[in-house]
Amino acid sequence: MTNPESASGRKPTAFRLDDRNVRMTDDETSTPGAGEALITQAYLADEEPRLPRSVSTPKSGFRFGKWLMIGLGGLVSLAAGLAVDTLIRDLFTRTDWLGWTGVALAAIAALGLLGLVIREIAGLVRLNRIDHLRDKIQTAADEDDARQATAGLRELIALYRDRPETAQGRKALAGHMREVIDGRDLVKLAERDLLSPLDLEARRIVMNSAKRVSLVTAVSPRALVDLLAVLFENLRTIRRLSALYGGRPGTLGFLRLAKHVLTHLAVTGGMAAGDSLASQVLGQGLAARLSARLGEGVINGLLTARIGIAAIAVCRPAPFVSDNGPTVSDFMGELVSSAADEEKKKEE
Amino acid sequence: MNALEVLLNTLTKLTEETRLSLANLADAAGDLTVPSVRLGVTGLARSGKTVFLTALVHNLVHGGRLPVFSAAAGHRMTSAKLQPQPDDTVPRFDYEAHVNALVTDRVWPESTRQVSELRLTIDYESASFLSRKLGPGRLHVDLIDYPGEWLLDLPLLNKTYAEFSAEAFRRARAGNRSEIAAAFLDTAAKTDPSDPENELAAQELAGRFKEYLAACRADTHALSMLPPGRFLMPGDLDGSPALTFAPLDIPADASAARTGTLRAMMERRYEAYKSHIVRPFFRNHFARLDRQIVLVDVLHALNAGPHAIADLEVALSEVLSAFRPGRRSWLSTILSRRIDRLLFAATKADHLHSSDHDKLEAILKRLVARAEERARFKGAEVDVLAMAAVRATREAMVKHRGEELPAILGTPLPGERLNGDCYDGNTEIAMFPGDLPEDPELIFRQDESKSEPVRPSFQSAQSELQFLRFRPPELDTTAEGMTLSLPHIRLDRALEFLIGDRLA
Repeated sequence: MTNPESASGRKPTAFRLDDRNVRMTDDETSTPGAGEALITQAYLADEEPRLPRSVSTPKSGFRFGKWLMIGLGGLVSLAAGLAVDTLIRDLFTRTDWLGWTGVALAAIAALGLLGLVIREIAGLVRLNRIDHLRDKIQTAADEDDARQATAGLRELIALYRDRPETAQGRKALAGHMREVIDGRDLVKLAERDLLSPLDLEARRIVMNSAKRVSLVTAVSPRALVDLLAVLFENLRTIRRLSALYGGRPGTLGFLRLAKHVLTHLAVTGGMAAGDSLASQVLGQGLAARLSARLGEGVINGLLTARIGIAAIAVCRPAPFVSDNGPTVSDFMGELVSSAADEEKKKEE
Repeated sequence: MNALEVLLNTLTKLTEETRLSLANLADAAGDLTVPSVRLGVTGLARSGKTVFLTALVHNLVHGGRLPVFSAAAGHRMTSAKLQPQPDDTVPRFDYEAHVNALVTDRVWPESTRQVSELRLTIDYESASFLSRKLGPGRLHVDLIDYPGEWLLDLPLLNKTYAEFSAEAFRRARAGNRSEIAAAFLDTAAKTDPSDPENELAAQELAGRFKEYLAACRADTHALSMLPPGRFLMPGDLDGSPALTFAPLDIPADASAARTGTLRAMMERRYEAYKSHIVRPFFRNHFARLDRQIVLVDVLHALNAGPHAIADLEVALSEVLSAFRPGRRSWLSTILSRRIDRLLFAATKADHLHSSDHDKLEAILKRLVARAEERARFKGAEVDVLAMAAVRATREAMVKHRGEELPAILGTPLPGERLNGDCYDGNTEIAMFPGDLPEDPELIFRQDESKSEPVRPSFQSAQSELQFLRFRPPELDTTAEGMTLSLPHIRLDRALEFLIGDRLA
């Protein structure tokens, strides 16, 4: 268009590939000489410079809880340090070698602490990365942005690089990314080719844990035992799911993850109540036909499945785009039938 | 119009509708055993209908790379093969010759001269349990190819001769066309509509009219709104009286012509053209479509400038008003077929870098806005995408004089020229076609601010957008010497939208 307002200053140009001044290269960093044109054949569009991360990070308000934690934590550390210090001083006043032994032990403890802290931080970083990756892929799918989707899926492939069981999926996905495919479709393909085996495994984990919970509830003698078993089972499920999807959280990371799961449950609980109400009522109806104990077991199992679903949503590095992910009703049928089997066995 | 004419018109309409309903009933009966989808590939001349059909069939038959087409990607499609078509009187689409031209000779198929048909049968297993057990697991896809010029005839169906004449003259006298139409306008000025009928005068006027239409279509102008379509692509009726008429300079609401005058003769021939050529064409091929894809060559019009774009917009909205979009229900499928999915595709997206595809889509969306809104209002699903049925280029980045240009690699057709450089059809080049505007409105707004009648060709070569035409790609072969399927851009997404749900 010859209109000045649309002029970008970039005129159409063409370079003959057999020209002496035209060079093909695979190295994107090399720079062309004077009057020379350098061509990099690209399968993918080059990335634009991105905005700094801080722009997209939600700003947290003033956190008094954090201050409290910092203050208390500092005090506790000081107290511990003081105690160790006085202990070592006391040891030195007795005999020198006892004192040195104390110092050596303190050093080992310090090293251990350092290692622990590093691992915790690494775990937290990994969880953070997964959270950001999920956001990125979600926006890419929402905006149908191929460029962003490609960038996100590259990170996803990198996340699973040292997982041999995903080799086939990674290869297929890398193949798709070389084609011209839209953002949303790419994310769907990633879901189908790379994540679906993991999703299947996650479903199995949640199913088994739900079954175990329902069984334990049915046979346990005391309510307290139930409670502990359910708590333990749920925490274990969250941990396994996180490891499955590449999170490998440390203790702190795990606590954070558990918090996320609870928040997710609280947020989606209201919405899920609507769509799963019918199935739950139905479930109770079925459960009522079982004996009271087994029925209770099924209900507990369903609750566990619910927590497992929330955990999947929190741990999975990509959102569910082509479908809504597993729902409670997916688990219910199998849970009820396994409980019924249990009852039959008992009767025999 | 007098009362008799009104009555006649209503009667023709009624008989048309009855005929359509009967044909639909027959179709519905046939569909009880194996369902069929009539896929309407709509596009003006040179928009790539033949290439689209060839690539579609080739990719399905040869199991091409279609990751987004779920039936193929999910390995549910067991086979796709060509079958004898349902209509025995229509020539077969010469698929083998077209593939041969594309793959072996690396040339694009020649422009289509007649209607042809093809039936593709897909065997599949449904993803849902019930339809896997109960459904036939088989779908016929009926494809039709035809000269795109003929599409321009469809809007004529609702116009009288006087209306057609008035519109033709209004367009011919518009700023951008008056120069091309000079010869025709001269001859028309010398002709008096109320002269006694005279075959030679009619022939001369029709000849000038055809020349003017053909000149409008040339690359430098690339105009689209040029009815009647048979004047550009006569098919087997060349020289017959039905094709020897031309618009006369009369107002749209002129009173009826006296018998024996030139105008009466022209009017008679125009009506014959409508009832013997246009109406059967519409009835046989377009009135009974289930799905429609509208191919638009936006880049060709962009090459020629804002007038070509504006003309394309008018042509598209006029042509698309002839179709019947709407929601599908069981009753409607039996009595009247409706197009329940409509896809607008900007073809030849491989001629620009993929980072510009979104902008191309935005331009197309703006071009077809009216038709899209109408289809949505009637309840049809609509999608817009940029695609290339056959991908002739690869992508690259060029660093030159401190600039990074997103470019495409390919071999231009012989005779294509850019910046004074003419290509021989064997040189591979890296090409930067210019940046499409971020805001599609910019392209249309320019039209209003501009008053220059015709853009001289040298100027368009200097403009900020220039799209060359490339030769079809060289295909890789596997170790066993098998040719791989034709590469494409988003053909799979188009397929998924058009027939994916029937294979679900």
